[in-house]
Amino acid sequence: MAVTSDYDLPCGRDVEQVWEVMDHLDPHTRSCPHCATVRESLLVLRAATEELAREEVEPPSDLVSRIMSAVRADVRRSVAIPLPGDGLARISARAVAAVLRYAADGVDGVRARGCRVVEAAESTGADPVIEVDLSIAISAGVTAEVYEEVRRRVLAAASARVGVRLARLDLVVSDVLEG
Amino acid sequence: MGGGVRMGVAEAAALDDATLVARSRDGDMRAYEQLVRRYQGPMYRLALRIVGSSGDAEDAVQDVFLTAWRRLGQLHDDAAFLGWLYRTTTNQCLNVLRKRKPHADTELDEHESAEPRTRPDRAVEVSAQLDALRDALRDLTPEQRACWVLREVHGRSYDEIAETIGTTQQAVRGRLARARAQLAEVMAPWR
Repeated sequence: MAVTSDYDLPCGRDVEQVWEVMDHLDPHTRSCPHCATVRESLLVLRAATEELAREEVEPPSDLVSRIMSAVRADVRRSVAIPLPGDGLARISARAVAAVLRYAADGVDGVRARGCRVVEAAESTGADPVIEVDLSIAISAGVTAEVYEEVRRRVLAAASARVGVRLARLDLVVSDVLEG
Repeated sequence: MGGGVRMGVAEAAALDDATLVARSRDGDMRAYEQLVRRYQGPMYRLALRIVGSSGDAEDAVQDVFLTAWRRLGQLHDDAAFLGWLYRTTTNQCLNVLRKRKPHADTELDEHESAEPRTRPDRAVEVSAQLDALRDALRDLTPEQRACWVLREVHGRSYDEIAETIGTTQQAVRGRLARARAQLAEVMAPWR
């Protein structure tokens, strides 16, 4: 498992080779002064690393509640999205997701899997804005331009078919379809 | 993982990850909160070791758990939640570092400790070695540092690290070797 490194020793070995025999010295390492020096540094490093791993720096005590507030806000925003106008009409996020999935499916070699739509923090009744996480499966061999095409169609569908602005589209390829 | 174990008393019958993940996916926020409590500690420490500042580490961990909640539907193997968290946290941290201006001296506060000044000699030496190690870690490239921290401090597998960084096992071993050699050099004065 030799890895070439820029840290070659005058004896011809490198630091990684010394590391590999740390706990079971071979005859060369036992007698080589260069290897012995490096070995001692590595022993200090190993001890310091153990100290570092033992350190239990705790996150701030309110981190859990901050995370859960963000999750709860996200859940609220993922139920229904306002439609443009007086802000009274709303459309379910699931319905918007279905429209966007359909738009992505229109691209050759692409199948929309999960689509999650939430109202963006900056959204207002007069100017509804959404954020979307879309996972897709692609056929083996499709090119990178496909992602741009998916992006373009989903953006267009959000504004033309639903009437909302899409501020963020997070596109994830979750699967590759063989054959 | 320390963070989870210490919760033990409050959660006498702690549920396994797969159960909590499945319940969370159905919208059970209390189940998800248990996962957050279980893993916020290790993820925070990982983030702190990679990005070096507590503010960035907190933001990264918060983003990771919100993203994880949103993407639970994409997780194929419920028991793989922890590995997935490690990957997401590492990548989130690497993104934070990429967005930082190159060589910008962001205030790094990981080792502002409130320990008293008077300590036995051995403790002073250990503390000095730790400080030197932390300084040396900052001089690694972000990817080298991530590889080294994941492997040597968090004990993750080469395979998982390769997948996280988007490279091969061989490349991970190469980065680790360089990181180790560079760090060992810094530790030389204490041998």
